[in-house]
Amino acid sequence: MSTVEIAPELLMSAEPYTEDHGVYWYNSDGLNVRELAKSMNAIGARFITITAYELPKNEGFRLEYHWDAAGRLLGFTFDLNGNEIESIYDLCEAVDWIEREVREGFGIVFTGRPYEPLLLRENDTAGVNMREVPVKVEVAQ
Amino acid sequence: MSYKIPMGPYHPGLEEPYKLDMICDGETVIDAKLHIGFNFRGIEHLAETRNYVQVIALMERVCGICSFIHTLTLCQSMEKLTGWEAPPRAKYIRVVMAELERLHSHVLWAGIAAKLMGFKTMFMTCFELREKVMDVLQAISGNRVNYSMNRVGGVNRDIEDPLALVKMVDDLEREMVKTVIPIFTTSKTALSRCAGIGVLTHEKALSCAAVGPVARASGINQDLRRDAPYAAYEEMQFEVPVQPDGDVKARLLVRALEILESCKILRQALTKMPPGELVHGDGKFNFLKLTGNPATSRVEAPRGEVLYSVSWREGSRNPARVHVRTPTFANMPAIRYMVMGARLADTPLIQASIDPCYSCTDR
Repeated sequence: MSTVEIAPELLMSAEPYTEDHGVYWYNSDGLNVRELAKSMNAIGARFITITAYELPKNEGFRLEYHWDAAGRLLGFTFDLNGNEIESIYDLCEAVDWIEREVREGFGIVFTGRPYEPLLLRENDTAGVNMREVPVKVEVAQ
Repeated sequence: MSYKIPMGPYHPGLEEPYKLDMICDGETVIDAKLHIGFNFRGIEHLAETRNYVQVIALMERVCGICSFIHTLTLCQSMEKLTGWEAPPRAKYIRVVMAELERLHSHVLWAGIAAKLMGFKTMFMTCFELREKVMDVLQAISGNRVNYSMNRVGGVNRDIEDPLALVKMVDDLEREMVKTVIPIFTTSKTALSRCAGIGVLTHEKALSCAAVGPVARASGINQDLRRDAPYAAYEEMQFEVPVQPDGDVKARLLVRALEILESCKILRQALTKMPPGELVHGDGKFNFLKLTGNPATSRVEAPRGEVLYSVSWREGSRNPARVHVRTPTFANMPAIRYMVMGARLADTPLIQASIDPCYSCTDR
């Protein structure tokens, strides 16, 4: 599904979205996050947030981008193989803090933008707070 | 020559810790940089270690002012996962609690704004009004801050005599119309501190994706209670106040008018409250609809949109992930644009005008 197909008339119809739990999920396979941001800007959608998930068994990360279009909650899912994704900060100013927060919590790098600490202080380690870090338990003999 | 004034993280003008570094030229702020994270408690991660009952109590502690809203949004998300719907009476009670919380939040904010204007008699008047709302919240829930009203599939406590609360709503509305709104809109003291100060233009509000009264005071006509209704809001008649100017006065006016609209909603909810159960079924549940997608719910909190995204591991008692997007997290970056060009002395009031909650922001 190309990004060209995300048009205002499609946005307000049931397809190509799948409605689930009140969210209109779009199949993001092959979708570029920057093209998505441009499309959302074109229809005047309001950015809400990015929710990051660490997938089990070291399968990487999942990012869910949410926008609001006239009261309709839109969801777009991106699965990352590594820990990098392009930033959309230059296209959507409102993502600034959440991109920085996701970087600090999960260690996901948003490329193409400078990073400044948000919740962390200078020299704190990113990618610890929200990650599942195996704990080595040493039992005293 | 420009110089930097650091305000915070601990400062007499701020109730909670955060830091604003302002670059000034004389008395004029030319740029600013925000620093948050001083209240970071790792609540989203803690939520993954709590079961489906404990997590409600935990998320109620995200914010001390809109604690009900946080549990409401969380429970609505969890209800989507269970496939449950709260009974009609529970939905009405949720509307009553949410609007009482909005009233106490807005009146509290008006008092703090009055104090920052140097208008301390108004501060006392607002806090006296707020106290009446707090008394009602206590009478309903037994608590003044964390109400423990919400549960998955309904509410924990009933409002036994809803009509008895209508008098409080009438009294509050009368006092707002007679005293608070006229003083804030006509007093020279108030106007000289608010009009034309801390302007957030319509365009900037859109690009920052501002929410709630901050967005509505910059001419953005959005309110989830009307645009994406939840609980029993679909059955309520009310207006969404919008002001075009984007200054502190506009933000003040929007909140004052919202108090009147909240009174209108409360009167409808209290007089039309249907009889019936408070919780779906016997209250015991399993997460049946594990579709792979998380359940997301949004609510219009006093400060704007709150979003919860909740996902569950199959067979687990704990959530796999709880993500919270609070309204102040969306609104705070806009402070930079509000203080640019402002006088240094106005910056505490400008910051307060978004009704910030740093606990919510940091989580």
